[in-house]
Amino acid sequence: MKLAIFNGSPRNKKSNSGLLIKQFLTGYNRVSSDESVSVHYIADRKQKEGLKDIFQKAETVIIIFPLYTDCMPGIVKEFFESIVNLNFTHTKKIGFIVQSGFPEAIHSIYIERYLKKLTKRLKCEYLGTIIKGGVEGIQTMPAWMTKRIFSRFQELGQHFAKNNSFSSKIQEELRKPYKMSLMKRFVFNIINKTGLTNFYWNRNLKKNGAFENRFDKPFKEEINNTQHFV
Amino acid sequence: MKITLLNGNMKEESSDFSAYIEKLSEKLCENHSVNSYTLNKMNLYYCIGCWSCWCKTPGRCAINDDAEKIFKSVINSDFVIFASPLIAGFTSSSLKKITDRLIVLLHPYFKLKNGECHHLKRYEKYPDFGLILEKETDTDNEDLAIVKDIYDRFAINFHCHKKYMKIIDQDEIEDIVYETCNI
Repeated sequence: MKLAIFNGSPRNKKSNSGLLIKQFLTGYNRVSSDESVSVHYIADRKQKEGLKDIFQKAETVIIIFPLYTDCMPGIVKEFFESIVNLNFTHTKKIGFIVQSGFPEAIHSIYIERYLKKLTKRLKCEYLGTIIKGGVEGIQTMPAWMTKRIFSRFQELGQHFAKNNSFSSKIQEELRKPYKMSLMKRFVFNIINKTGLTNFYWNRNLKKNGAFENRFDKPFKEEINNTQHFV
Repeated sequence: MKITLLNGNMKEESSDFSAYIEKLSEKLCENHSVNSYTLNKMNLYYCIGCWSCWCKTPGRCAINDDAEKIFKSVINSDFVIFASPLIAGFTSSSLKKITDRLIVLLHPYFKLKNGECHHLKRYEKYPDFGLILEKETDTDNEDLAIVKDIYDRFAINFHCHKKYMKIIDQDEIEDIVYETCNI
């Protein structure tokens, strides 16, 4: 299996997607001696021209990206546009990993349908889409908070190395919760009132001296003239 | 009424799609204030996920390009039109590029909406929008349903409503003008 992984995070190498792939490959390398696995960065514009060729030649492809507006980031869409008319001499297998900062999977299920259809359009075999929420902040979380998610991604990689497919059991587990339960929503609303749910944002706002300006509305003004822009 | 028209066509200017959007813009201009943007002719970069707009300079993007004009126009509009030919089963990367950047108009804090986490409003009011598409040769109903559903999700995230989804070879410009003006 010649596996190529495409990281579609606009953050390039310093991304949550990159961290998840690192875990995936830790598990993968535990059981596979395949040294041809390569990771490529869609946001690395120097690699742009070569990506299409790498995609064309790979036997199995995994594409990971963060959810942007319940969809793929624009830069990933550009990549899809570049490969959609390629023809393949063999049946390529494609799997996707969509990660987001939202705790629930529901935000990501719409793009999952698109990815399945895209794979069909490419005449490739669809390996499924891994959906994982609650990923934002994993780069700064203490180890005890990331232990579970990292070990799941390692298991996912291990299974992939053995079977050339995603484990449906881990896939199912990772996408929980689909939506927050009534109880969780109740608790969320109470915690939200204390401001604790915004801890991550407030910490960063304060660190940057921007906390007092957090509700700024810089673009609220009247536009009266009809204008045309190129 | 203030309208922002975002044309995500990536083909040459003389295409049927651009001609259609140009004509639509002219018609809308007869009675409304229209800011019309041809995205692939502007200096626009992809969102880099730095979240400066949420954590460093709240409400302002760190990228120095033409996007500020669009942010200002969108948030001060009564209606936005997202226009794009379908490419690889979805609207163009040119249109998606600016759609991603509109996150600058939202607030990072979460709230529950329909039982789901969504980002808070930064502004009091967000414009409703319409979607104008051009089919590819292989576009089918499944593709259109996927695009529709993803833009419906965008409406939830953007605290507004998607008012219509039109296809240029099926819908008359006059009908789109009527629906845009009677939201």
